[in-house]
Amino acid sequence: MKKPGLTFYKSAAVVLTLIFVGLQISSPDIENPPVTSEISVPAEVKQILERACYDCHSNEVKVEWFDKIAPASFLVAHDVKEGRSRFNFSEWDKNPPSVQELLLWEMVNAIEQEKMPLKLYQVAHTGGKVSASELAVLKQYVNKLPGRHKIDTARIVAKNASHQQIAPSKTPVALNGIPYSADYKNWKIISITDKFDGGSMRVVYGNDMMVKAIKDHQLPFPDGARVVKVVWGKQAEDKDGNVLPGNFQNAQFMIKDSKKYSKTEGWGFARFDGLDLKPAGKTVLFEQTCTNCHRMFAPQSDFVFNIPTK
Amino acid sequence: MKFSISIYISALALLLLSCDDRNTATLAPDYLYDAGNQAVIKSIINNKKGTISMLYGNDLALQTAHDSLLKPNDGAHYTMVTWKQKPMPHWYGTNMNGEIYSIEHLKVVQRNDTQLAFDYEFQAGKGYQPGDDQPEKEQRIKLITSQRAAVFP
Repeated sequence: MKKPGLTFYKSAAVVLTLIFVGLQISSPDIENPPVTSEISVPAEVKQILERACYDCHSNEVKVEWFDKIAPASFLVAHDVKEGRSRFNFSEWDKNPPSVQELLLWEMVNAIEQEKMPLKLYQVAHTGGKVSASELAVLKQYVNKLPGRHKIDTARIVAKNASHQQIAPSKTPVALNGIPYSADYKNWKIISITDKFDGGSMRVVYGNDMMVKAIKDHQLPFPDGARVVKVVWGKQAEDKDGNVLPGNFQNAQFMIKDSKKYSKTEGWGFARFDGLDLKPAGKTVLFEQTCTNCHRMFAPQSDFVFNIPTK
Repeated sequence: MKFSISIYISALALLLLSCDDRNTATLAPDYLYDAGNQAVIKSIINNKKGTISMLYGNDLALQTAHDSLLKPNDGAHYTMVTWKQKPMPHWYGTNMNGEIYSIEHLKVVQRNDTQLAFDYEFQAGKGYQPGDDQPEKEQRIKLITSQRAAVFP
């Protein structure tokens, strides 16, 4: 075969240069909107967040010269957009206090599971790593948040007549179309948990297909598997160390249908709050919040937390 | 040249594979307990003992648990399953049930015309160590029969 001549290399170089220049012209600018309500945390926590998280999760993004060159700039712009959409330390008060605490626990977990900061970011930005001792500082901090030792002291509200009989026409339906159903009360328990953030205790039910899949060591779980997690507050510990459930908080549903719910890892998510079973969220985007966390932390168990594993 | 490209491609493939964290969890069906026809009364956490329990009951036990005076019913059957707590894998900040520690069965029976009696049975589970103290029977009967049902829709 004839070797390509000099003109070939020359024209290739010209084309590549044109592409490169063209990319620079369309390269996105990273803008920093005003800081409206910055997170307030102790100085030793703040400096870790600023160094390792603020470049994507704040309105104080510091862009290095190499971040501005396409195609890297496209990646940076994408990460900043995605990062701010998950949580933004500069607009922290947009989240209610309970969500703020949950996000902080998620951050600790994302760092511990080495999902964050992003690997590529750490390669390009030497300050982007979080050391083991810094992670310990963050853990110590979340364990001091008010939700960690929250006690449900309110009188336990019993179901009244209006709660007791939900007319079929009044069945609560989540924004993605998943209806509430009390079937789960006849299912088996697959796990019982004590969750630290927000002070809650949970009982997790699985339907026959789910229980069978666990018994058969079948992962991923089959279509038709269902999980319902019932969540209560925690009462004060008694003298023998027993902690009993307080008020009912919510019931969380997961329904496996790999085709119907392919956008949310094969699971349909729903949450019903309080004894009135008010469907969670203002828009159907609520399910993204569920999926993001399940996708990041539970891929090894088909995106389900709270299943019995060795 | 061809050789180095193939090395580069296989290195890239290895890198991508190593980033795939979908290594599958090992399911533990031996942590499950089948309470048969009994339904949930409530769960109980005990951080002093490092355990987490589930109290189940038959219809008569549930009736008692919903009664404001907690009046015992002849024929009520309770099952208290206790597991050792363990940290939830892949999530810092939740404890969950691990190995089964013990199973306690309690039956309320009519001893004579005026008196109810309690049949109590303790079974050790896999998580129970031979040196562990067995719980004091009267205390356990009192604990089990004095639980109000958790309120849920």
